[in-house]
Amino acid sequence: MVIHYKCPNCGADMAFDSESGHLSCPSCGHEENIETFPEQNIERKFDEGEAKEYHCENCGAIILTEAETTATHCSFCGAPVVLADRLTGDLAPAKVIPFTVSKDEAVAAFKKWTRGGRLTPRGFTSGDRIKKMTGMYVPFWLYDIEGEAHIQAIGTQVRTYQSGDTIYTETNFYDVFREIDLSYLKVPADASEKMDDVLMDKLEPYDYSELKDFRMPYLAGYLAEKYDFDDEQLFSRVESKIVPYIDAYISTTISGYSSVSYTNKQIDAQKKKVYYTLFPVWMVYYDFDNKEHTFAMNGQTGKVVGKPPISIGKVALWFTGIAASSFVAMKAIAFAVGGVLW
Amino acid sequence: MRNSSWKWVWIPVLVLLLFFGGLSVSAQTGDLIYDEAGLLSSEEVQELEALAEQYGAEQNVDFLFLSTDSTEGQSIEGYMGDFFDDRADSTGHEDAVLLTIDIGGREVYLAGFGTAERTLDAERVDLVLDRIIPEMQSGDYANAFEETVVTSSEYMEYRPGVNPESIFLKTWFHLAIALLLAGIIVGSMLYNAGGRVTTTPGTYVDRDHTRVRSQDDRFRNKTVTRSKIPKNKDGGGFGGGGGMTGGGRSFSGGGRSF
Repeated sequence: MVIHYKCPNCGADMAFDSESGHLSCPSCGHEENIETFPEQNIERKFDEGEAKEYHCENCGAIILTEAETTATHCSFCGAPVVLADRLTGDLAPAKVIPFTVSKDEAVAAFKKWTRGGRLTPRGFTSGDRIKKMTGMYVPFWLYDIEGEAHIQAIGTQVRTYQSGDTIYTETNFYDVFREIDLSYLKVPADASEKMDDVLMDKLEPYDYSELKDFRMPYLAGYLAEKYDFDDEQLFSRVESKIVPYIDAYISTTISGYSSVSYTNKQIDAQKKKVYYTLFPVWMVYYDFDNKEHTFAMNGQTGKVVGKPPISIGKVALWFTGIAASSFVAMKAIAFAVGGVLW
Repeated sequence: MRNSSWKWVWIPVLVLLLFFGGLSVSAQTGDLIYDEAGLLSSEEVQELEALAEQYGAEQNVDFLFLSTDSTEGQSIEGYMGDFFDDRADSTGHEDAVLLTIDIGGREVYLAGFGTAERTLDAERVDLVLDRIIPEMQSGDYANAFEETVVTSSEYMEYRPGVNPESIFLKTWFHLAIALLLAGIIVGSMLYNAGGRVTTTPGTYVDRDHTRVRSQDDRFRNKTVTRSKIPKNKDGGGFGGGGGMTGGGRSFSGGGRSF
């Protein structure tokens, strides 16, 4: 099934506008609220049978997509289309964070980011080599996690005192028990195989106050993917993400000791709820030194992540600069205090 | 032919040697080295006299060496004080660093008079004594005095009150910190070049439902270990801080047995 959102005003294909949060018509500028979009302007076309071939309703061209794609553009006429049957049933997202960074803002933010790179080669910071910029809704699973932790540990308190010419070191040992209720809300893990997990983790955090119930029109004009891994498959990954958080919390509950060694640490965590959610990400493909570098930008907050090229010369310059100036500074202080330079 | 010409060359050299030898003999009696216990050879006296003169001119003090077989029933401080009062009264030199060795009592005392009371304070005296005690114990008194002169001069360059052996004044320390600092800063710049993780343990926590349900801290046992404070193995120190001579001259100083 292919969906077009037709402008009630002029009949052109409408796309999601990140600034207003509405559907907007590129030809007449008309805007429509997503919640109240008139049903008769949603043009649906069911494809027959099993064949996963979609036809653009505008020009009749075959829409070429990968199997994971749920929203794209017609490669022939450029009209935004949403592939609805890939977004229904089990594949229906529960929530979405709409784009708030428009393409122009994303380009500007990325250029600003490259200029700020202190260790990147000169050509990288000044050049304008953005090859491709794609706004993409990336599938994530958000987990509400509930659990408990049972902790046994031995804490020590050390006291030293002096009597005569003897130093006494007194160590008190305590048995420490803790039972802790744990609850974490909406911990994300990206469900797309294509996306680099480290890159996606660095894009966090998203602002959940703008988390909306999913509606298809949000996808019009962007690329979107469906998940490759279901919530069961990804749970171990999200667990490995929160275990350090849990450990950090546990250590805050045991205070007043000079050392703590855990004898038994039992953490049970189950998922209470999962939300299939689409997060907005700008993917930036950048050519430098005959190599393509990939960057990702949080489509909500504008945070940029990705491995930029590193200039050895600039690294050396920074290193010697910092080392030399701090050496001079320390020498100056030593001279001011001690009155001797060497 | 060749031999006989060399003989002629030797004569002025010999004359020069006699001349300087005679000079330093006169210096020995009047000036800086008072080796009454005979701990130094005459060559050592000459060398040390020259050294003390050179460094003394730089620091504007007299570096004095005094040795004795016996302090005649006095403390080494008293003996030293009397000696310095006499010398200062006759020469008018009030600024001096004086190393006194009582070979009979096997004690050594280092004192700073006049300007040296400030520039070579008790703390610095102690540091110098730390350095020369091994040489005192091995009987190498010439080197002990040389070390005293050189190290004291070095210390006197520093502002009064500053510990000249402080690690914060060492060049290698400055260099190490500078390199370490640069390494940490540039390392973190490299590490964060690809974007930083800005989520914290608090990002996703549900504060309403994350809590300690029950807790218990129970005393189990205690252990006590004892360790003796190590004694200074270089013999006892005494007279730390300084004092006043019989003639009313105040000084900084400290002494050790060796």
